[in-house]
Amino acid sequence: MFPRLNPLTTLTAAVAVLVMTTAAASWAVSLTVAVGAVLLSAAGGTLRRVLVASAAIIVPFWLSLLVIHGLFFPEGRTVLASWGPARVTAEGLSFALEMGLRTAAFVLVLMVFSFSVRVPELVAALTARRVPPQVGYVLASTLLLAPLVAARLEKVRQAQESRGLVVGRGIGSRAAAIRLQMVPLVLGLVHDAGIRAQALDARGFRSAGPRTSYTEARDSAAQAAFRLVAILLALAAVGWRIVESLSAGSLAALSLSGGGPG
Amino acid sequence: MIADRTGATTLLASVASFSYHGDAGPALLGVEMAAAPGTLTAVLGGSGSGKSTLGRLLGAWVLGGRDGTLAGSLQLDVAGVPASSRPLAFTGATDDPRIDPGAWARHVGYVPQDAASMLSAVRETVEEELAFSLENRGVPRAEMVRTVAGIARRTGLGGLLHRDPATLSGGELRRLAVGCAVVDGPGVLVLDEPLESLDQAGVRTVMELVHAELALGTAIVVLSQYADALTRAAERWLVLKDGEVTAAGPPGQILQGHALAESGVVITSPEPDAEPEPEPAAESGLPMPAPPAALPLPVVEARAGTAAALELANVAFGFGRLPGSVPSEDSMLLQDVNLQVMPGEVLAVTGPNGAGKSTLLRLLNGLHRPLRGDVRVAGESIAAVPTGLVARRLGLLFQHSHDQLFERTALREVLFGLDRLFAVGAPERARAALAAVGLEASENAHPHELPASGQRLLALATVLARDPSVLALDEPTVALDAHGLERLTAAVSAAAGRGAAVVLVTHDIGFAKAHAHRLLRLDGGRLLPH
Amino acid sequence: MSQPSLTLPPTDRQAVRRRRLLELLGAAAIAATFVFLVLTQPADIAGGLGSVSSLVALGGFLLGALLLIVGVLPTLPTSTVVLIPVALVLNIVLGQLMGTSGLPFYLDSIGTVLIAVLAGPAAGAATGALSSIVWSFFNPTVLPFAAGAALIGFLAGVAARYGLFRRFYLAPVAGFVTGIIAGVVSAPIAAFVFGGTSGAGTGAIVSAFRAMGDTLLAAITKQALISDPMDKAIVFAIAAMLVYALPRRTTFQFPFVRRFRVLAGREPAARNS
Repeated sequence: MFPRLNPLTTLTAAVAVLVMTTAAASWAVSLTVAVGAVLLSAAGGTLRRVLVASAAIIVPFWLSLLVIHGLFFPEGRTVLASWGPARVTAEGLSFALEMGLRTAAFVLVLMVFSFSVRVPELVAALTARRVPPQVGYVLASTLLLAPLVAARLEKVRQAQESRGLVVGRGIGSRAAAIRLQMVPLVLGLVHDAGIRAQALDARGFRSAGPRTSYTEARDSAAQAAFRLVAILLALAAVGWRIVESLSAGSLAALSLSGGGPG
Repeated sequence: MIADRTGATTLLASVASFSYHGDAGPALLGVEMAAAPGTLTAVLGGSGSGKSTLGRLLGAWVLGGRDGTLAGSLQLDVAGVPASSRPLAFTGATDDPRIDPGAWARHVGYVPQDAASMLSAVRETVEEELAFSLENRGVPRAEMVRTVAGIARRTGLGGLLHRDPATLSGGELRRLAVGCAVVDGPGVLVLDEPLESLDQAGVRTVMELVHAELALGTAIVVLSQYADALTRAAERWLVLKDGEVTAAGPPGQILQGHALAESGVVITSPEPDAEPEPEPAAESGLPMPAPPAALPLPVVEARAGTAAALELANVAFGFGRLPGSVPSEDSMLLQDVNLQVMPGEVLAVTGPNGAGKSTLLRLLNGLHRPLRGDVRVAGESIAAVPTGLVARRLGLLFQHSHDQLFERTALREVLFGLDRLFAVGAPERARAALAAVGLEASENAHPHELPASGQRLLALATVLARDPSVLALDEPTVALDAHGLERLTAAVSAAAGRGAAVVLVTHDIGFAKAHAHRLLRLDGGRLLPH
Repeated sequence: MSQPSLTLPPTDRQAVRRRRLLELLGAAAIAATFVFLVLTQPADIAGGLGSVSSLVALGGFLLGALLLIVGVLPTLPTSTVVLIPVALVLNIVLGQLMGTSGLPFYLDSIGTVLIAVLAGPAAGAATGALSSIVWSFFNPTVLPFAAGAALIGFLAGVAARYGLFRRFYLAPVAGFVTGIIAGVVSAPIAAFVFGGTSGAGTGAIVSAFRAMGDTLLAAITKQALISDPMDKAIVFAIAAMLVYALPRRTTFQFPFVRRFRVLAGREPAARNS
């Protein structure tokens, strides 16, 4: 279902949803968005990859939040448990939950976008919008570079092992190996980049005129309308949030974290 | 599809001097050359002769001002384009003309030796890659599709248009690079070592492509260190040594003189397909100077009772479809490989591309592990021994020296891991190894800045310095010029002479016959006698 | 024009001025956002949750970063543009690894500093901003730090411009100072938008200050002042080591390096061995 949409449509949708989620600042909205993103990725067939990649980012973040706010939240009044300086408070936990869910929604939505987008189509869409070609190049190259880097790192490791490098199981040995491999890896990549720059220049990368795309950027009036609506909705959500916080005073947001004075 | 062809193009270059920023001396000095429509010009020279620099200057890959200091003039004469015929004069000053590489390259297409570096690396299919420069010029999509289809026909890429460029074979990649260079219809085509590391089929398609372009009226310049079938077809040769022209004229005349041998050019058979099948006649009976002197090896017969330096027993290996999975029986790359190599013996293994020659060598030091069977180095099984420890006894020369070099000076490169092997005297050993391959003057050079032949020899020095009891060499002759081949031959016979076993895989049957005691052929997953 | 000239026209002054305007607008958006955040900073930590602050932080910094990118990228030579993806991958991979390692460092700006040293402050700033934006496609928690990342790139470029990378021992000093400034700038973002830091090691330090009763902003600022200067000192030293390990032909390809004599010596490789 995704590949038929213009990448800018999916990107606009993702950003609009995130803006609205932030503006709503409610754990229920965040949870709904997160669940929605998971369902979308299941429909798009990227569920496993999205979940694995998201978990790798969300889980350490949640742990960090739990340690910071779950154990130490001096402003918390409802103490549930305490050991020495550490006090588990209801306010701290709800703050952590709020932040954790909002971040989870962010990660999941952007992951669904990242795994659904086809890079050449995104670049074509950007070209059609007259975004400087360098922006499209940097985006595409970064996203396509990871396998090249991994392959290069493997070659460096093989070359070093073939000349007597033994990587042990200990942390120290591994750290030493990383240091040994970093320099050649970066050198090789920078060297390749220098040559690639010459090739790109010769192939007209810096030409000043208008550009076209071989890959067709599919678009339609309906999608353009949808993007406009999404942007307007996001702006409305931001406006609503600003108006509300102005009318309620600067502490209005406190109510969100557990019913303080508004 | 030459709708964009602007007409017959002549390129005149007069390089009084060119030096890269930060280099002490010039890379080119007093080089004059011309490329006329429908002619083939060959620039021949050994490694480091400056031919690649010349090619890059011609194709605006290297620019005076941005990359170095250029004095001289470049003149592009395109029929029907009056503004083009004025020569651009360079003095090395800041007000020199600044060439627009994109506009220049529409008339002069340069194809680098490493075809992969031609690619933008941001396109996922061959057709998108071919269209890259058309996109940059804003060619309408319908016309772009037509042009790409035409180029694909011309370069034989028709069946590959939807493939990912990263999955192409060497020959296919070279054709793609040529396709990218001719997609704008340039009147001049500069090809840097266009036949390097191609198998027979690849050589044939590139040769056909060159002749087709010539017939279209393209001026072609080939840069090469081989006087081979392709360069022998040239009307005119230009021989470079250390950045200066040592000879220029028709091939027949230059073949009579000494300039070619001195420059380090490898003189091979004029037959395009002289390579794999055993045909000793290919090297003889033709009017050409003798190939570089090969040191005849004293054939050491394996004495009964001596332990094998290297032994493979019933080794089987294959790549699973998924990483980590076990391949099925019929997809095995190697099966029932049995081999014994005695100390002092030189064994050559040949076979078609993709037969698993490189894989075989990687099994020897544990970079790949056999699925069945056992590999024994100096009588000890290497099963469960980390590659880093096997490396004490076995030195592996990689197929691509680029993959093997990772330090910032040549000396540090050879020294890597050497102190773990030799408590005292590691620096002396490293210097001796550099001297053995003729790089003693380059110990502070950056490995990536050495010419291709120098990089290969440096990689060889890293193997030699470790004094291994088994040398495993993957395509050691590739990229070496004549001087480099001499160093390689001497190193192999010296190693064998002190009792090391040498296993080399190569597609160069002539080299294998001249320098190995025994030849084996790897075909269909099995090692067979030649 | 059917036949473009073979040579480049002289620089178009008007285009240069337009780009410069975009850069200035970008920098102004970032500065204004920061001032707004500091001025409206609620006294109570829970007020920091106010989603207006996070929206302003996200919107203002993102806008500034995008303006910087669009203004700077087209002015860069291709050799720099091609290097930026390498820098981004370095930043992202190392940053992601460090975030989960438990060490209180980030190491997510080595690529940015590398570009800044080779290609100057503007390129460094654009790389820093791009780095955060591209990384956020995988890990949105870094998005709000786009402004801080751009500042680091800019400062690194300035340090290189004035020769602080000519002496090996000066690079970490420049990094230390950069870290102090960067820490002060990014702390409010971490507090207002995400209520903490994303790394496990940095989180532990924040907890320690929170345990002593600090407000969240104070705790995060103190953590930043501990982590950032050390982190940037390490990053600048690593970047210096990498730059000196590059072939001279490669470093000299960058006009910034040649023009301001960024690197020392005629034989950097030999000096460093």
